[in-house]
Amino acid sequence: MRVPFYVRACVPALLLLFGLHACFSREEEEEEMLVHEEMRVHVSGRALVPGVRAQDWISSARVLLDGEKHVGFLRDDGSFTVSNVPSGSYVLEISSPTYRFLPVRVDITSAGKMRARVVNYIQTSEVILLPYPLQMRSVGLHRFFTERESWGWTDFILNPMVLMMVLPLLVILLLPRVFNPSDPEMRREMEQSMNMLNSNQELPDVSEIMTKIFTPAKGHGRAVGGANGPRSRAQGQRGGADDQRGGALGLRGGVPRRR
Amino acid sequence: MAWLVVRLAISVSLLYTASAVFEDQVGKFDWRQQYIGKVRFALFDTHSQASKKLLVATDKNVFASLNSRTGDLFWRHVDKTGPEGHIDALLMHGQDAVVVVGNGRLLRSWETTVGGLKWETVLDSGSFQAAALVGVQDYVKYVAVLKKSTIALHDLSSGSQTWVENLPDSDTVQYQTIYSGGNGLVFVLGVLPNSHIVIVEYKIEDGEIMNKKSVEAAWMSSLESSCVVVSSGILMCVDQITQSLYTQPLHSAEQTEMRQIHLQTLDLEVASGFQPVLTSTQPSPAHPPLAEFILQLSPEHHILLQLKDGLIAPLRDFSPSYLAAFATSGEKTVVAVMSPKNDTACSINLFSADTGRRHLDTTIIYHTDPYGGKPNKLYVHAFLKKDDSVGYRVMVQTEDLTLTFLQQPGRVVWMREEALADVVNMEMVDLPLTGTQAELEGEFGKKADGLLPMVLKRLSSQFILLQAWMAHLWKLFYDARKPRSSVKNEITIDTLSRDEFNLQKMMVMVTASGKLFGIDSRSGTVLWKQYLENIKPNSFFKLIVQRTTAHFPHPPQCTLLIKDQDTGLGSLYVFNPIFGKKSQISVPALPRPILQSLLLPVIDQDYSKVLLLIDDQNKVTAFPSTKNILQQLQETASSIFFYLVDSNQGKLSGFRLRTDLSTELIWEVVIPTEVQKIVAVKGKRANEHVHSQGRVMGDRSVLYKYLNPNLLAVITESTDTHQERSFVGIFLIDGVTGRIVHEAVQRKARGPVHCVHSENWVIYVYWNSKFRRNEFSVLELFEGAELYNSTVFSSLDRPHPPQVLQQSYIFPAPISTLEATLTEKGITSRHLLVGLPSGNILSLPKMFLDPRRPEVVSEQSREENLIPYAPEMPIRTEWFINYNQTVSRVRGIYTAPSGLESTCLVVAYGLDIYQTRVFPSKQFDVLKDDYDYVLISSVLLGLFFATMISKRLAEVKLLNRAWR
Repeated sequence: MRVPFYVRACVPALLLLFGLHACFSREEEEEEMLVHEEMRVHVSGRALVPGVRAQDWISSARVLLDGEKHVGFLRDDGSFTVSNVPSGSYVLEISSPTYRFLPVRVDITSAGKMRARVVNYIQTSEVILLPYPLQMRSVGLHRFFTERESWGWTDFILNPMVLMMVLPLLVILLLPRVFNPSDPEMRREMEQSMNMLNSNQELPDVSEIMTKIFTPAKGHGRAVGGANGPRSRAQGQRGGADDQRGGALGLRGGVPRRR
Repeated sequence: MAWLVVRLAISVSLLYTASAVFEDQVGKFDWRQQYIGKVRFALFDTHSQASKKLLVATDKNVFASLNSRTGDLFWRHVDKTGPEGHIDALLMHGQDAVVVVGNGRLLRSWETTVGGLKWETVLDSGSFQAAALVGVQDYVKYVAVLKKSTIALHDLSSGSQTWVENLPDSDTVQYQTIYSGGNGLVFVLGVLPNSHIVIVEYKIEDGEIMNKKSVEAAWMSSLESSCVVVSSGILMCVDQITQSLYTQPLHSAEQTEMRQIHLQTLDLEVASGFQPVLTSTQPSPAHPPLAEFILQLSPEHHILLQLKDGLIAPLRDFSPSYLAAFATSGEKTVVAVMSPKNDTACSINLFSADTGRRHLDTTIIYHTDPYGGKPNKLYVHAFLKKDDSVGYRVMVQTEDLTLTFLQQPGRVVWMREEALADVVNMEMVDLPLTGTQAELEGEFGKKADGLLPMVLKRLSSQFILLQAWMAHLWKLFYDARKPRSSVKNEITIDTLSRDEFNLQKMMVMVTASGKLFGIDSRSGTVLWKQYLENIKPNSFFKLIVQRTTAHFPHPPQCTLLIKDQDTGLGSLYVFNPIFGKKSQISVPALPRPILQSLLLPVIDQDYSKVLLLIDDQNKVTAFPSTKNILQQLQETASSIFFYLVDSNQGKLSGFRLRTDLSTELIWEVVIPTEVQKIVAVKGKRANEHVHSQGRVMGDRSVLYKYLNPNLLAVITESTDTHQERSFVGIFLIDGVTGRIVHEAVQRKARGPVHCVHSENWVIYVYWNSKFRRNEFSVLELFEGAELYNSTVFSSLDRPHPPQVLQQSYIFPAPISTLEATLTEKGITSRHLLVGLPSGNILSLPKMFLDPRRPEVVSEQSREENLIPYAPEMPIRTEWFINYNQTVSRVRGIYTAPSGLESTCLVVAYGLDIYQTRVFPSKQFDVLKDDYDYVLISSVLLGLFFATMISKRLAEVKLLNRAWR
């Protein structure tokens, strides 16, 4: 069996098309560059980390051309030379575990002429010249770590869960202090306002239906109490208080006897 | 502008996928070990008494400074690989080290305290012969470099060339040695093999030839191996055939023949077949060498000789002795000699060089490693003690590349396993269960035998667990009382056991030198090592885990297939990966070259998987080959297929096993070698799990993955390397049927190609030679909206070809290696681990390499969480899993699943070894490291008390109300 090596598969277009036209003129020139490889030149420049002495960082740094194709080392003043580089186009980067440098593209013609430009992988023919010999300036430290989510009181309080818990608590605790619910006038007023909110009282309440189903008609009074559904639901927050009152009434019922 | 929008979109989507290291995790579960390789040159800094520097240059083109007290690196410079970075010579003067690199291509001077380059000079072309420091009037000022046809003198402080001269008759005479005794002259010594020696004298100031003479030496073939300069400029040579020493003063003009001294007259004899070796010492380049020298007569016989007034006198005979070396401190020069003591130890003694007398109390006992190689190099660091006597430390290098630094009376100060600088293959093996764990496991493995015994068994095992827990508590309590320093958790082979989440494993590493290591993955401690002798360099190793730890009481079993690259002959080495012991199992003899090996899921009675080895006559050898196995093989033979790749002929062929263990050819694919050559064939990893069969689309339909376990990705490169016509091709071939499932070509592209093949996708990287950048291409295969046969996949019954999607991206950095993360069940999203030449390992979410990334964002693609297409792949330093712990020359990344679904264990190896864990989808199955126990318990307690108090308050309030 023979494999047809003519290719049927289509390679998806990955290149930005507008970059293609611009580079035709340069292509010939570049091709010429690659033919003669006998010419060997030095790429030199200087790297600088502002505010840091060269001795403190150069021993762990290297100058790399196209990965590890050519390697150069840094002198104690931060200058460097990569020797014996054949003509071509290279991306020069300074690899340091601590400091970050921007890479630079270095073009070497077959005649040994050199120029440096900004690396642009998408529009490879775009030329924004940089000074040569290279001046590499660190753009800061590498950021390797992300911050842990730290815990602060403000975060805690503004958390929606906490807000949901704390605000009702405040309402429960503080509202009775502001206006006394046992005051009959106030109560009437509140009931009115609640009734206004729940306009359609005819709509049966789900919880109510459930209670009706699951509680056999034992205590008639309770069923009646349940019938006031909309009201009790509207006062949901105070439901507990109502129960307590029931208990309290029972207590009260006992008191006179003791008397 | 559109660009920025896309970038913004990416960065927004990253908020969900970014998995970075937190600063407090540094060193918690990761470690790095830095290596240098086989030491070729080592020099101790004798500049000052307190100096701890040890400068080494290695065969890995590494120049480094070690701390001689601890063995750690001060600094290390890794040059490019190959002959261009090869270190030819290392010279040291004061604080400066001069290095000749790349066959005399470069001359570099390093400042040794900070490790900065002082100067670098490019030398003229010509192959390098020798280099020497040249002193003038007690000062060392120059360095002389001898090439095949030139000699050049460079200034030591600036590197500038003082002069360069052509050597006379360099087309016939082989100039090999250079010598300077500090008297204003440089001697260059050359030889015309089996004829005469040429001695040329140069004046240091201007390179003028002062004198040139030739001396008859018909017996001589090479100067380098047999001659040294001793005393005040006297050439001393040794010849094995004539059994003689020859001397020749370099200065004298008249003598035309060397003076011969028969070794018999000194009562000496060279062992037959042994090339005798002369060693002299020149403590300072500005002064002539000493008159004493060492002559090695056999592998175990050294002798210290002295040349005095033209007479050679033996000072001391060291027999037996393995190694001998000179060392100088101040005015005193000593000889350290290593001699065998008993089977397991050697003793090193110090002798005075000028008298040959032994220094008292200077013995160092060196214990040889029974699992290691023989010592083959001795480096001595001599120093003057306060009472003016000579003290010394030694560094011993062995055949298996272990560096041991010893001091009196035999204490090992540090040890480095430099074989680990060249790891070629590795596996991670689960640690064994402890006794109690095994007991528990055993309960589930056994067949049910009635209700009551099962209950009893369960109760008893629970009781054992309780006991173990109590013991653990007691230990904790006991340890808590002791000071912290003494409670060091020493990891030894005996205390090894699996942890709850199976995060700690045994790393079995195979190195190019033939030394095997077992390393604890949690701490990086070497737990066992085994040196396999007689391994040829460039051998091919394949490590196979035949039986895992899961089959208690059967020990785990690993098999190493060693294949000689030249003859193709293979051999098997079977061992226990936990303890490193060689197994007693008999290994089949392999008389024919091995072409292919495959591990079958067919299991023997003792639970070891079967390894099939296919030789060049397509005969199959099974290991182990018990009756049971052979029977199983016969039954399943018709469904066992394998493939062979012949990249020289561009041929891929598929075979089927016959019941008599012979094979039959069933398919063949020829990729014409005139056009393209096969560079890589990648299958899928056997231990990979795919959790979801398909992908849910935006419209709630399912796109099913094409999960063919037999699929091979064959990568080819064009033979035409012209940048316009070169291409990289990829074929997806079914390994059983030979059907070409898909093929694709990347035009104007060339290698090196790195490839990852997993699940239903193939990712490969190539170099786009037109735009000069690296590009990623991803192929994803889908069956479509319906699965043909959802229960089982068969290569023979898949009528519909898969739908193939492809997309390519620009990767803005060079790439050293590529691997994908792997987790236990395959639920966790995948990440791609990219090794960069800078030493960083980038964890790139697979999400970015998804051929379904849309160019135009639609509602559906947003629903699917697809990132809009962007040509350039982002590289963020937060994704570097090894932060600043760079791995030099990363060559391979090994990934292994752990017991936790969220966690994947990663080992990157190259010159360094780095081990860490990655969490591609974050740690979703365990509590986070920063989980705030204090907060949660204080909140709980607070709530509890608040309830208590409010209850009490409510009671009081109710009572009050009741009284009202």
